[in-house]
Amino acid sequence: MEHGKWRVLLALTLIMFSGFFLASSSASAADVIKLGFIADVSGIGAPFYKSQKAGLDMFIEEINAAGGILGKKLELVVRDAQLKPDVGANMARELILSEKCEFLIGPTSSAVALAVSKVSKEFKKVIFFHTSNAEALTTTNFQPYMFQVVPNTGIEGRGMALVLSKKPYKKYSLIGPDYAYGHDQLDSFTKEMAKRRPDVKILDTVWVKLGESNFSTFIPTLLAKKPEAIYAAFWGGQLSAFIKQAKPYGVFKQAPVSSLYDLDMLRATGLDMPEGLTGYARAPFYAIDTPQMKAFVKKYHEKFKEWPADWAIMAYDGMTALTQAIKEAKSAESEQVVKVLGGLKFNSLRGERYIRPVDHMANVGIYAGVTAKSPEHKHFLIMKDVKEVPAEEVWLSVEEVKKLQAEQK
Amino acid sequence: MTWQLFIFMLINGLCQGMLLFIIASGLSLVFGVLRVINFAHGSLYMIGAFLAYSLSTLLSGESLLGFLILLLVIPPAIAIIGFVLEVTLFRRVYREEHLLQLLLTYALVLILDDSVRVIWGGDPRSVTRPDLLAGSVDVMGMALPSYNVFILVIGPLIAFGMWFLLYRTRTGNVIRAAVSFPDTLGALGVNVSWVMTSTFMLGCWLAGLGGVLTAALSNIDLGIGMEKIIECFAVVVIGGLGSVGGALLGSLIIGTGLTFFQLPFGRWALVFPYALMALVLVIRPWGLFGKPER
Repeated sequence: MEHGKWRVLLALTLIMFSGFFLASSSASAADVIKLGFIADVSGIGAPFYKSQKAGLDMFIEEINAAGGILGKKLELVVRDAQLKPDVGANMARELILSEKCEFLIGPTSSAVALAVSKVSKEFKKVIFFHTSNAEALTTTNFQPYMFQVVPNTGIEGRGMALVLSKKPYKKYSLIGPDYAYGHDQLDSFTKEMAKRRPDVKILDTVWVKLGESNFSTFIPTLLAKKPEAIYAAFWGGQLSAFIKQAKPYGVFKQAPVSSLYDLDMLRATGLDMPEGLTGYARAPFYAIDTPQMKAFVKKYHEKFKEWPADWAIMAYDGMTALTQAIKEAKSAESEQVVKVLGGLKFNSLRGERYIRPVDHMANVGIYAGVTAKSPEHKHFLIMKDVKEVPAEEVWLSVEEVKKLQAEQK
Repeated sequence: MTWQLFIFMLINGLCQGMLLFIIASGLSLVFGVLRVINFAHGSLYMIGAFLAYSLSTLLSGESLLGFLILLLVIPPAIAIIGFVLEVTLFRRVYREEHLLQLLLTYALVLILDDSVRVIWGGDPRSVTRPDLLAGSVDVMGMALPSYNVFILVIGPLIAFGMWFLLYRTRTGNVIRAAVSFPDTLGALGVNVSWVMTSTFMLGCWLAGLGGVLTAALSNIDLGIGMEKIIECFAVVVIGGLGSVGGALLGSLIIGTGLTFFQLPFGRWALVFPYALMALVLVIRPWGLFGKPER
């Protein structure tokens, strides 16, 4: 085979394609604040993206209608990272260098987030994460320009261990996607469970490639050791596919499955979702009782003719924090804004929240409940008996965070 | 591992293998006759899956009839797309060097995959299983999805159908002759280009069938074409390029292997098809059922 020829052709093809991206840059005006959104537009993250975009669009529309921030209008520029860290990092560079974005908004995948956070550090541009939530972003990979308004994998894993430790199950099998998010979360879950319930045994952990949606070879393995309960660290389309395929394998007859039952996932699974499963959400609109949430839900429903998913709510909350920081800093430059972010108090849809200075983590907890049918929503289940596990109960102590940050990768 | 679990895993694995066989056999058949490795085979499979999704939303059905319509309509539709591709593009490169053939099929992958992105977008989709196949059957005290059993039945039917077609009909004789002696066949007055077109269409029909079956088995999204073509490639290398029997053996080995190795090896089970492919390439480069190049 003529290898040389091959390489030249491949290189030429790549060059031709890169032309598209370069051609699409545009000039920036002084009276706008550009926000670069590195999103996971396609694949299993697609439904999340739609919700995130809707939340961001709504926020920007409201702010611009009220005259903008510091007299400047907000403008959103979106790029697709396709769940790929290298693509995400390139897109982030492009957003900063060509599009002149002063602030970045993170993606869905934690793997992409870790790559993008490095770019944010390199160019000293503030980035906020509203969906991707590897705890490593705030510990071993912490950098001062990032902040997080989504419960991280530690808060989730430990929070669910706390909730499930009160249940009688003694034998668990775990299953999750084989990347940063899955590992961080199942690791936190296992450690916290061992602390709270030394009698609980983790039988097995099954790792599945991120994006794999055929579980036929994994489910028999998951059941082989006869667990009494299953904890799954999937999300979105992958979780929905898992639930749908688990049913005919008789998984739910053998063991209840606990996982992230956010609104988009519940909508996608529809009535295939079993009742009575203990799970959690990051920001369930139907269970958070604040006046600002009620107003938001009403407006959102009028605008988009559907209910806001967790992702829309958290993206909106992130913008609230960011714009408040811009106001307090009286500057739309990352270098100034970052000075007020640590310790910032903001009025989120989930209630009053603050950003902890040590790791730039907002004190956002998880909302645990039990899946149930609801008379208001005919086509999907929601959770009932929802209780918040406050972040303060399960997040890492300041000492633990500092210790991990000292091990900076 | 108890023997009950062993049997259960075996049946489950065979079912995975059968689905893989349906898709991989198309790739292998096309290579056998046309001598072109059609990388766009995966994309055609993906288009089949997405078309099945679209048609299923129109048919509004969890009914068995609706699903049968998908099975009867989509694969021929993909075969027709195959017909157009063969007549307009593939026909021109049979006598060219492999590099040009690769470039053509790779370009097709890019074009077809992006067409899917434009038409259906990035959302994951799926086809609802018909009620009759949505439940499960008891195998050794464990529940096996009826749908998997259905695939397990369809697979051997396809395998038998292909064997019958290739070895027991005149058409099959002609196709096999086209593999071995295309020039002699032409001299005998057989319209070789028609044989090639119909073989290509049959290959695409299999891709479309695999697409419909997958759409109701798991979620489908933009990546499935690329993923599947790589798996199929491993299958045909193991089984022998151009050999349908080899594709069957390769598929079943990979399907059962992935199921069984999951338990002891966990995430490393993913390496199995490719490790086996590498091993076969070292020991028997022409594959288990293939023949060395003349």
